[in-house]
Amino acid sequence: MLAFDNVTRLFRGGAGVTDLTFTVEPGEIVALIGLNGAGKTTLMRLALGMLRAQHGTVRLLGHALEGMHMAAWARVGTLIEVPLAYPELTVRQNLHIACLLHDCNPRRVEASISAWGLDLVADRRFRRLSLGNRQRVGLAAALQHDPRLIVLDEPSNTLDPASVILLREQLEHRACAGAAILISSHHLDEVARIADRVLLMNAGRLIGELDTAGSDLERAFFERIRQDDEDRMATEVAG
Amino acid sequence: MNAVRVEGLKLSRSLVGLISTLAIVLGMVGLLGGITAGVAGGNPDLIAQAGPAATLVWSGLLSGSAQITAVVTILGFGIVLAWIFGREFTDGTITGLFALPISRTRIALAKLAVYLLWATFVSTAIVLGVLVLGLSIGYGPPHSDSWAALGRLWVLAMLSAGIAIPVAWIATLTHSLLPAVGSTIALVVLAQAGALAGAGGWMPLAAPALWAMSGSTAVSLLQLMLTAEFAVVFGALACLSWSRLQLAR
Repeated sequence: MLAFDNVTRLFRGGAGVTDLTFTVEPGEIVALIGLNGAGKTTLMRLALGMLRAQHGTVRLLGHALEGMHMAAWARVGTLIEVPLAYPELTVRQNLHIACLLHDCNPRRVEASISAWGLDLVADRRFRRLSLGNRQRVGLAAALQHDPRLIVLDEPSNTLDPASVILLREQLEHRACAGAAILISSHHLDEVARIADRVLLMNAGRLIGELDTAGSDLERAFFERIRQDDEDRMATEVAG
Repeated sequence: MNAVRVEGLKLSRSLVGLISTLAIVLGMVGLLGGITAGVAGGNPDLIAQAGPAATLVWSGLLSGSAQITAVVTILGFGIVLAWIFGREFTDGTITGLFALPISRTRIALAKLAVYLLWATFVSTAIVLGVLVLGLSIGYGPPHSDSWAALGRLWVLAMLSAGIAIPVAWIATLTHSLLPAVGSTIALVVLAQAGALAGAGGWMPLAAPALWAMSGSTAVSLLQLMLTAEFAVVFGALACLSWSRLQLAR
């Protein structure tokens, strides 16, 4: 569903991502974790055509990103940084325009409002919502058209515990139905509960997978990051 | 068509759209009413500055309308266009306009289409406002010359909407709202400077105002078409920039 093959994108000043290679298969939930600035959002932007790779290939739904038919994007659902929602519109209107933009039947809006527990705020303007409700609207807008590939950047941000459970149920249900899901997160425990695989990212590179079966995930995470930093420094000094 | 419906809903429900519409139309009518009252009251400074607009007949009112429209519409239309394009970047919603089965070129075209529809409504409202003002002052039914001048006023407002289109491109290039608002002011200054410097009809930014204020004698149709071409070129540049858009840090 999603495949990166040696993808590199560097910005002026040297930051960016290098030699990214991974796949997300149908029915699989893959989590991406790393410190701030590790390159998680850049990776997601590359996956969705917000950035073009300087080297390597990104493939979505079996097609190279550049050659994808416009209609195929209707099978992709995303939430990157900011929900696709406008402050002057109500929750219902925002979900309606998300449906129009994703080329799906606007009748799904009511089911989406109900699924994400937005009934009480459905006719409230987006600007008047709490941060948690805004995020739920963004998630509803990203998922209501039943995408086969889902890419979510820190989806549990600002969600209360009940909403986190709701998100988990939604993602597990969609993965069971065959959707491929890539999420980034800072919440190691949450990631361990939901993800089939956890990719570790550091300094713009994928440095392997984190074994979520261990008892102290935090310690394991920081140990891998520290080890990678040391290896990198040693390589730079040797170079 | 979906993109046009989306953009139409966004503009029609926004405070920016409502306030700008009211500010342009009521502001113009209010200003013209104030000038007319001042001239009627014999204010010598105002009469001296108003020039041809200082006569209390249809031609005076329409001359003043053309002068004010030339500035107010570029400014008002430009600010709204800056918001239509720039807000996606400042609000961060631009990320949601990727990975859609609607191309960004179509989204940009939809934005321009909705903008032009709104500008058509505002231009018509301006003309109707001036007409109602003239009738309520007691100038009587307009003669054929006055109807022609009202028509030119509408064309001037519409061409001013075209003159403001580079603002959409600037908002896209800078990924921001404020530089686009700044460029609106720059367009007004350039248009006025062009007219004062005698660039005349060959300067697309100044041609519509000169055409309307001269009663269509100072500017040829060919020169006026350059303004329309100017708008099309910058509209195409804005669409091209949206199609090639990347969200680098």
